[in-house]
Amino acid sequence: MEYVSPEGLRLDGRRPMEMRQLRAQIGAVAKADGSAVFEMGNTKVIAAVYGPREVQNRSQQIGDQALVRCEYSMANFSTGDRKRKPKGDRRSTEISLVIRQTMEACILTHLMPRSQIDIYVQVLQADGGTRSACINAATLALADAGIPMHDLVTSCSAGYLNSTPLLDLNYVEDSAGGPDITVGILPKLDKVTLLQMDAKLPVDIFENVMQLAIEGCKAIATYIGEVLLENTKQLEYRKGL
Amino acid sequence: MASKPGSAPTTYTPTPTRKSRPPIFKDSDVDWVRPDGRGFHQCRPAFFRTGAVNAAAGSAYAEFGNTKVIVSVFGPRESKKAMMYSDVGRLNCNVSYTTFATPVRGQGSDHKEFSSMLHKALEGAIMLETFPKTTVDVFALVLESGGSDIPVVISCASLALADAGIMMYDLVAGVSVSCLGTNLVIDPILEEESCQDGNLMMTCMPSRYEVTQLTVTGEWSSAKMNEAMQLCLDACSKLATIMRSCLKEAASATQD
Amino acid sequence: MVGLSVGEKYFIQGGINQNLRSDGRKRDTYRPIFVETGVIPQANGSARVRIGTTEVIASVKAELGRPSALHPDKGKVAIFVDCSPVAEPTFEGRGGEDLSTELSVALQHCLLGGKSGAGAGIDPSSLVVAEGKVCWDLYIDGLIVSSDGNLLDALGAAIKAALSNTGIPRVHVTAAASGDEQPEVDISDEEFLQFDTSEVPVIVTLTKVGRHYIVDATSEEESQMSSAISFSINRKGHICGLTKRGGSGIDPSVISDMISVAQHISEQLITKLESEISAAEAGEDEL
Repeated sequence: MEYVSPEGLRLDGRRPMEMRQLRAQIGAVAKADGSAVFEMGNTKVIAAVYGPREVQNRSQQIGDQALVRCEYSMANFSTGDRKRKPKGDRRSTEISLVIRQTMEACILTHLMPRSQIDIYVQVLQADGGTRSACINAATLALADAGIPMHDLVTSCSAGYLNSTPLLDLNYVEDSAGGPDITVGILPKLDKVTLLQMDAKLPVDIFENVMQLAIEGCKAIATYIGEVLLENTKQLEYRKGL
Repeated sequence: MASKPGSAPTTYTPTPTRKSRPPIFKDSDVDWVRPDGRGFHQCRPAFFRTGAVNAAAGSAYAEFGNTKVIVSVFGPRESKKAMMYSDVGRLNCNVSYTTFATPVRGQGSDHKEFSSMLHKALEGAIMLETFPKTTVDVFALVLESGGSDIPVVISCASLALADAGIMMYDLVAGVSVSCLGTNLVIDPILEEESCQDGNLMMTCMPSRYEVTQLTVTGEWSSAKMNEAMQLCLDACSKLATIMRSCLKEAASATQD
Repeated sequence: MVGLSVGEKYFIQGGINQNLRSDGRKRDTYRPIFVETGVIPQANGSARVRIGTTEVIASVKAELGRPSALHPDKGKVAIFVDCSPVAEPTFEGRGGEDLSTELSVALQHCLLGGKSGAGAGIDPSSLVVAEGKVCWDLYIDGLIVSSDGNLLDALGAAIKAALSNTGIPRVHVTAAASGDEQPEVDISDEEFLQFDTSEVPVIVTLTKVGRHYIVDATSEEESQMSSAISFSINRKGHICGLTKRGGSGIDPSVISDMISVAQHISEQLITKLESEISAAEAGEDEL
């Protein structure tokens, strides 16, 4: 199948190095301490953060740092074919773990000993790149909850199809079976916190694709920064400052 | 749990002591007959017997026509360790079907929907505050499903709770009414339930004149709804009398 | 979980007694209702409904299937509700399952009518393509995104809005197969059938706190309830379903009283909801 046309256009009309439309909104769940909706094209996820609060299960309490927990679930209607079981399958468990580890790495957990932070991510629509979208949504929700972090983690995926590196794969491109990389970075510190790849890729091409993904992450970081700034301005305005 | 002499016969064959209930209303102009020949407002003969399961703290067996149900109650016993502290008791209900309960061989699995209905119907009647930190388990098993299963389960469960000596405000009696065309038929059997247009199930505490659970499906006008509710209330109070006499019988048998 | 102090409990109960609730509403006033349709493009129909800070999403997916042997002239409709932990941390893992089942069952009672299909919001016989062979299976999924009481009313409204947003492709049976063979079908990409949702009932929950009952309770108010009855009422004022929650018993005469109040409130709710739905549909067309 041809994923990049001779004119250099992808299936959904994007250029190889073009990202999908981003949209973010802070404060979608009234009861949560922090929440956000993040959209990348047709992929739409909602994240909510509860905490820091008392540890619910005493045996999990950590004496010198906060306990970070994460649960990822997909809505029944999120995929093309209706899902029967919204959570608890192996894929959900794996993604929960990935998100938890990524977020734990950037939260200043030592400032909140003996407490617990819960991150819940709900996929409303899945169209490729749910992992990245979840991490971006979780970052925004954590920032909204006012949880101290080293930096805002952002994530983006990239792939390699038809001898072309492609940024931000959608579902069709993702399921093509080519190599795809999901990268999570701390943009200000210029550090990589998440790197996942399946399939094989020559080292020199890998570097190109990885670089592309990092560029994508940085673009998302700029956008997230703008959203947060706008949100803060709104809050200031409402306070009458 | 020691066996209760007298109240717990070794078998629970209901044949000789079948009690029949008088029809609630006199048969009015009936243009068709029900499959079992009853009047529209006539319930099936009800049979109750307590102490059917020796191992349980309390138990009851109920038979309404082909619907046969056995309920055993365990507890109050210590709540599971994982449960949080609670200053009122917990009620745990479970309704399951035997594999041979239905005409088509079923799965014999738990019935979540009925379990939660049973819980909701009973929790209002039990004085949960009398046994803090503990749990009462109510396990109902439908041996044969012959229609109106859940009301029979609820009535039988309240009898089993009474047998177990759990404090209750009143016995809970359950009756359902099916709407077939313009007619209301009380205590429907399986055939009637499968072609009903609507169903109203009510459980109430007749002495307190309070409704503990009410579920309605299908389309009802207010007038019809009130008629059906009245029908249920009357039937419930009659049913409760039978349940009470069953308890009295068991108690007097123990005294002898 | 709502943790309230004794003072807060008195405040809520006292406010309800005086017909002035904590958020300034009267006993029979709903919070503002906001409807958005077409939120899930992958589904045949979808809607998001917000009542105050309670937010739910409903989607309708239609799949071609075989009608059951017992009812060859009817399609199947199934309703599932999922409680996202996003809305409430206690829904994590299997924690939301009990509530999910309870809500799913209540919605099935309220919207799908009796066994014969009478009083159903959706006519199951309209879903048949070829009798006994092909029919549409309608899967209605609800998702709770934010929970602040009155979930059943919100889900009922969301399902009504999602159904009015639903377009089911017209199906042509191309080759009429004989006997047991499955006929070949051609699913149209352009022609869509819309549901007539004016008969779909709305759900009104009356929550009894103390001696009075209130509509659209918040989760704080729900924690103080003695019992709650959800009525599903259609345009004609007929009751299409009813479920009771909460332990304590209610006097039968109070129930009759509640029915007439619910019928009165449902009229206003239906009007309000339908104007919101048509506004949302108009807004969607403009985009």
